[in-house]
Amino acid sequence: MITRRNLIGTSAVLAGAAAISGRVQAASIPEAVTTTSPAMQPPLAPTSGPAYQPVVTLNGWSLPWRMNGEWKEFHLVAEPVERELAPGMTARLWGYNGQSPGPTLEFVEGDKVRIFVTNKLPEHTTVHWHGFVLPNGMDGVGGLTQPHIKPGKTFVYEFAVRRSGTFMYHPHADEMVQMAMGMMGFIVVHPRDPQERRVDRDFVFLLSSFDIDPGTSLPKVMTMTDFNLWTWNTRVFPGIDSLVVRKGDRVRIRVGNLTMTNHPIHLHGPHFEVTGTDGGWVRESARWPEVTTDIPVGGMRAIEFVADEPGDWAIHCHKSHHTMNAMGHDVKTFIGTPQKDLTAAVRKMFPDYMPMGTEGMAEMGSMEMPMPDNTLPMMTGFGQFGPLEMGGMFSVVKVREGLARDDYNDPGPYKHPPGTVAYEFKGAVPDATRRSGVPANPSNVELSVVKPGPKSHSNH
Amino acid sequence: MLSLSVLLLLPACASFSPDGGMSVTADIAARHLRKDVVAIRNDEEAEAARAKVDDLLKRTLNADTAVQIALFNNRGLQAAYNELGIAEAQRVQQSLPPNPSISISRLTGAAEIEIERKIAANILALLTLPARAEIATERFHRAQLAAALETLRVASDARKAFYRAVAARQAASLLEQSSAASSTTAELARRMTASGAMNKLDQSRQQLLHTELTTELARARQRATSERERLVRALGVSGKDLAFKLPARLPSLPNRPPSIKTVEDEALKGRVDLKIARSELDSLAKSYGLTKATRFINVLEGDFIDKRKEERTTGEHSHDSGFELTLQVPLFDFGEARAREAEQTYMQAVNRLAQKAVNARSEAREAYRNYRTSYDVAARYQRDVLPLRNTISEELMLRYGAMQIDVFALLTEARQRIAANANAIEALRDFWLASADLQAAVIGGAGASSDSSSNTTAMAGTSEPAGH
Repeated sequence: MITRRNLIGTSAVLAGAAAISGRVQAASIPEAVTTTSPAMQPPLAPTSGPAYQPVVTLNGWSLPWRMNGEWKEFHLVAEPVERELAPGMTARLWGYNGQSPGPTLEFVEGDKVRIFVTNKLPEHTTVHWHGFVLPNGMDGVGGLTQPHIKPGKTFVYEFAVRRSGTFMYHPHADEMVQMAMGMMGFIVVHPRDPQERRVDRDFVFLLSSFDIDPGTSLPKVMTMTDFNLWTWNTRVFPGIDSLVVRKGDRVRIRVGNLTMTNHPIHLHGPHFEVTGTDGGWVRESARWPEVTTDIPVGGMRAIEFVADEPGDWAIHCHKSHHTMNAMGHDVKTFIGTPQKDLTAAVRKMFPDYMPMGTEGMAEMGSMEMPMPDNTLPMMTGFGQFGPLEMGGMFSVVKVREGLARDDYNDPGPYKHPPGTVAYEFKGAVPDATRRSGVPANPSNVELSVVKPGPKSHSNH
Repeated sequence: MLSLSVLLLLPACASFSPDGGMSVTADIAARHLRKDVVAIRNDEEAEAARAKVDDLLKRTLNADTAVQIALFNNRGLQAAYNELGIAEAQRVQQSLPPNPSISISRLTGAAEIEIERKIAANILALLTLPARAEIATERFHRAQLAAALETLRVASDARKAFYRAVAARQAASLLEQSSAASSTTAELARRMTASGAMNKLDQSRQQLLHTELTTELARARQRATSERERLVRALGVSGKDLAFKLPARLPSLPNRPPSIKTVEDEALKGRVDLKIARSELDSLAKSYGLTKATRFINVLEGDFIDKRKEERTTGEHSHDSGFELTLQVPLFDFGEARAREAEQTYMQAVNRLAQKAVNARSEAREAYRNYRTSYDVAARYQRDVLPLRNTISEELMLRYGAMQIDVFALLTEARQRIAANANAIEALRDFWLASADLQAAVIGGAGASSDSSSNTTAMAGTSEPAGH
C-alpha cells in the first residue's frame, strides 16, 4: 500500500529484464540503484515496513528497497567497479551496485525478503547469505545448492528473516577470486521492536585485504598471505571515515572479517563489550569488558560502548603491519647503518636519492617523496600535532559534546582542555644508573646448546 | 742526317712530374676522404706537414683529424710514397731513347781514302721504345694506385683505431661508475653486518660482486690503454705528441643511416684494387703485344633487382636491391707465334680480375649489410634500450620513495643501467667501425685490421639478482 514510496524516487523497470521465476513473474524487477561515490551516505531511514534505527556504513551506503506485497525486494548487481581506496589510488575491483563492498542490506526480524541478483561479471557467480538460517536452496553455494548465475542472468533469492543480528553476503562461486576482487557486503537485521537493543549510533564495516602492486590497480588474486593493503569497507587510512559520535551516545560498531587472517580491533578510550557475533546476540551475563576484540576469519563481532569520554580516540587493527599501506616486504633494515656519507655516490646515479631508515622509518610519515602512479604512501596522515604515520586499518572515534542526533560530519580535531596534553619536561634529566646487584653480563646461565651433527670433522 | 732527324721525331722523352706522381693519390684522398696527402721529400715539406700535425694535435681529436694526422704523419705511408717515386724514376728511365752511337771509319786503299761517318742507333731498342715507355708508364700508374690504396688503408686504420680507442675509454669510465656503485653496496653491506641487519653470507656476496667489478674495471682500463696504443701506431705519433686528447664519448648515431643504394656498383667503379688489376691486364696485353681483340668475355653478370619484403606480423619492411653489372675483359687471339706462356699469363690476370670483382661485390654487400645491421642495433640501444633503462630507473626511484624497495635494489639497477650503456657504446662503436669498413669496401683500403667484430665486454651487474 505504501510501496510507491519505497521506490526511492524511481519506478523504472529494468529494461529488457529476462523472465524470472514463476513465483515473481507478475512483478517487475526493482531498479538496481548504484553509486560511484566512496563517501559515507546518511543512514537510510525506513519509509515503509517496520520501523528501525538504521545503521551507518563507513564510506558506504544502504541499498534502497521496495515493498511488493509482503515481500521486501532488493536488487543487487554483481559487476566490475572502480573503488577509490584513498585519495590518490583507485582499484579496479568487482563489487555490487557500483561499489565494493556492495551496499549494506538492512532487514527487520520477520521480514520476507526477495533479492534479485543480476550478474554482470565476466564469469558466473552466486550469493551466499552468511549467517542466515534459510532454506538450503537459498544458501547460495554454487553447484551444491543451486546452479551458478551465468553472466547476464538474474536469479532470485527468497527467504524469511528469522532473527536480528549481524550478517554478510559474499559469492560462493570462484570464491577465492571473487572475494580477492572485493565482492562482499554487510547485512544488518534489526529487531522487530525498535527499542530492543536500541543504540544511538550503529556503525558497520567489513575487513578486507588486497594485494595491489604499487603502480597498478588490479588486485593479485593468487596472493594468500602477503597482502599489502588492509581495508575497512575497501578503504584505507587516510581514506577511512571517522566514526563521529555524540558524547553520551550508546554506540555499536559491527565488524565483519572477510580477509584471510584475524584482526584484533582495538579501541582507545572507552571500554566496550562484545554484544554480538554472527551467531547471535551475547547474553548480558556472558559479556566481558574489552579494549581489543579479535575478529576471526569469516566472523563478525558487534561491540557496544557508551561514549562518555570526549576526544579523538584511535580505533585500529593491532597487527601493526595492518596499519600501514603498501610496503616493500623485502626492504632491508637500515637502523644503525650510517648512510649519509654514501649519499653523494648514490646520487650520481639517482639524483633524487635520499637515505632512509638509518634512524627508523618515522621520517616516511612526513616525507613526501614522489611515488609511482596510483600508489599511496606506506604511512601517512596528519593530525593537529604532526604526522600520524599510519595507513590501512585505522580510524578515529570522535566523541564530541553537543552534536545533533544524526550529525555525522567530521567535527575536526579535538580541542583538548588546557593542561590535558602530554608535554615536554624542561628540567635536568639525570644519567641512568644501574641497579646494584643485577649482573651487567648474565654469563652463568645454566644452559648449554649442542649443535646437531658430528662433533668433529677429524673423525671422517 | 736523316737518322738524326728520325731520332728527333721520336716521342718526347718522359720527364719527372711536378707532383711526383701524387696526383692520383691526392685526388682519391680529396674525393673520398676529403683529406690532404703529402709526400714529404724535403725539409720544407716536412716542416709544413709537422706544423699541420701540431695544429691538429692541439685540439681534441675527432675521426677526421685522426685520419688527417695519420696521412701526414704515418711513416709507413711515406714509405709507400717512396715506392711511387721509384716507379716514376723507372718510368722516366724507360722512356728515354737508347743513346745513339757515332762511328767514324776510315778505309784506306791504294788509291783512295774513304771516310765514313755514321750515327747508328740501336734500332731494336728504338723500335721497342714506345712499348717500353708505355709499359713503364702503366707500371707507374699502378704504383700511383698502390699508393692511393695504401693511403686509404692508413686512413681506414686510423679511423677505426680512433673509434676503438674512444669506445674503450668510454667503457672504462662507465665501469668506474659501476665500480663506485658496487663499492657503495659493499660498504653498506659491511655496515649492515655491523648493525646486525645482514648475515655473513649476503655480505660476502656483495663483497664478491664488488671485487669482480674492480677486476673488470682493471681489464677495461687495460683495454683502453691498448686501444690508445693502436691509435698511436696508426697516427704514427711519438714523444710529446702522445699526450693527444681524445673525446670522452663516441660521436652520436646519425639520425638516419645514409642509404647507399648502389654500393656494389660503386665498389666496381671505385675500388682502387680493381683499377690496379685492370691496369695490370692492360700492361700485360701490351707487353705480349696482344692487340687484336677477337671477343669479349663478360666476367660479371647481374640484373637489377629491387625487392620489397613486408613482414605480415610486424609490418616491418625491408628493401633489397641489386644491380646489373658488367665488367668486360677483352680476349685476344693468341697467335701461333706467341707462346703458351703468354696466353696463360694473360688468362691468369683475367681470372684474377674476375675473382677480384666478385670479391669486391661480395665484400661491398657484406659491408653494407654489416653497416645497416650495426646501425639498427645501435639505434635500438639509443632509441629503445637506454630510454627504457631510464624509465626503469625512474620507476625504481619512485618505488624507493614509496618504500617498496631499498637502496640495494637501486644500486643493482644502477649497475644494470651502466651495463646497458656499455653495450650501447659497443653497438655505437661497431656502427662506426662498420661505416669505416663500408667505405673501405667501396673505395678500397680494407687492411688486415678490418675486423669489426666486437669483444663483448663482460659487464657485471646483469646477472646479479636484486640485493636482498
